[in-house]
Amino acid sequence: MINLKKNKGLKYKSELIRSMNYLSKNKNVIFLGQSVSYSGNAIFNTLKDIPEDKKIELPVFEELQMGMSIGLALEGFIPITCYPRFDFLLLAMNQLVNHLDKIRVMSDLDFKPKVIIRTSVGSKKPLNGGPQHTQNYTSIFKKILTEVEVVYLSDPDLIYSTFKKALNRRDNKSSLIIENGDFYNVK
Amino acid sequence: MITKKKLIDFELDVKKIYEKGLIKGPIHLSGNNENELIKIFKSIKKNDWVISNWRNHYHALLHGIPIRILRKKILDGKSMSINSKKYKFYSSSIVSGGIPIGVGLGMALKRKKSKSKVFIFLGDMAYETGIFHEAYKYVKNFKLPVKFIVEDNGLSTNTPTKKAWGKLSKIKKDIRYYKYKRIFPHHGTGSWVLF
Repeated sequence: MINLKKNKGLKYKSELIRSMNYLSKNKNVIFLGQSVSYSGNAIFNTLKDIPEDKKIELPVFEELQMGMSIGLALEGFIPITCYPRFDFLLLAMNQLVNHLDKIRVMSDLDFKPKVIIRTSVGSKKPLNGGPQHTQNYTSIFKKILTEVEVVYLSDPDLIYSTFKKALNRRDNKSSLIIENGDFYNVK
Repeated sequence: MITKKKLIDFELDVKKIYEKGLIKGPIHLSGNNENELIKIFKSIKKNDWVISNWRNHYHALLHGIPIRILRKKILDGKSMSINSKKYKFYSSSIVSGGIPIGVGLGMALKRKKSKSKVFIFLGDMAYETGIFHEAYKYVKNFKLPVKFIVEDNGLSTNTPTKKAWGKLSKIKKDIRYYKYKRIFPHHGTGSWVLF
């Protein structure tokens, strides 16, 4: 657990950890993506408490990953599909926009896969990752996605409730939940 | 299982209705591949998933979707998105679009220790795409219960796949493959229809 004193009251990261631990208690939840089991990004640091058998480390194939997540969800799993940076999520647009976002309508609500997508705006401090690693495309995704709910996590106090809602929502809609790497160190 | 005659009659019926201008969406008719498909579907069980594409009428009928249900969907203009949870049938109208979803279904079935499989139908152009090769490699390396079937009619819409790629890839030994000649156009029926 995070020691608040040691971390000067920061809670963005600890709330993410609390949320992930909560999600992992659901037997259908499964975490997948690059760097879910091996270090390399901020998201990894929030998944350290998750048992290995609930994580699938994947190669770099963003589009395949999103389609896989849909397939897993169609068979009852709830994938928490992790894209370490928003910039990388662009590679999964076909499966996200043409498939996940359209499958409910195209199947007359017969297929309602619940996928929780986690991504992060790359941090700019202390090192600036540059134009391919730090973009925030939240407003664009809010426009292009009609069925997938898009949430940008700016208030640490809303992190837990956001993930809780995404997991338990009765309409079974999918969510895209966006965090910001810089908030780990300031909030 | 549905007979060859019933398959052919179904498409001829759809053709007739389409030519009357009563279907307000594109149709992609199947034909000339009944024998191959009937043979392939003998090894596909009711609880297996079938992943199809825009040309899905035969796949849907052979996987057990009743004629009246399929007919209604087509009449509603939904020929390109025949989907059914009950009959475990998903189709995407994006080239290679259903492949990654089929891989995920295969992962799920393996994790659940299910005996069911996933059968993914793809065309000759989809076979050349990068995402197919990623999917094939992953399925093979992790021994997922996923089978690919390549239906080669040589054309992607009306573009000859071989001409556009310069050369065709070799068909892998563990992939089911058959070749046929399209008897209907890519979409529509070839007749001028007044909508």
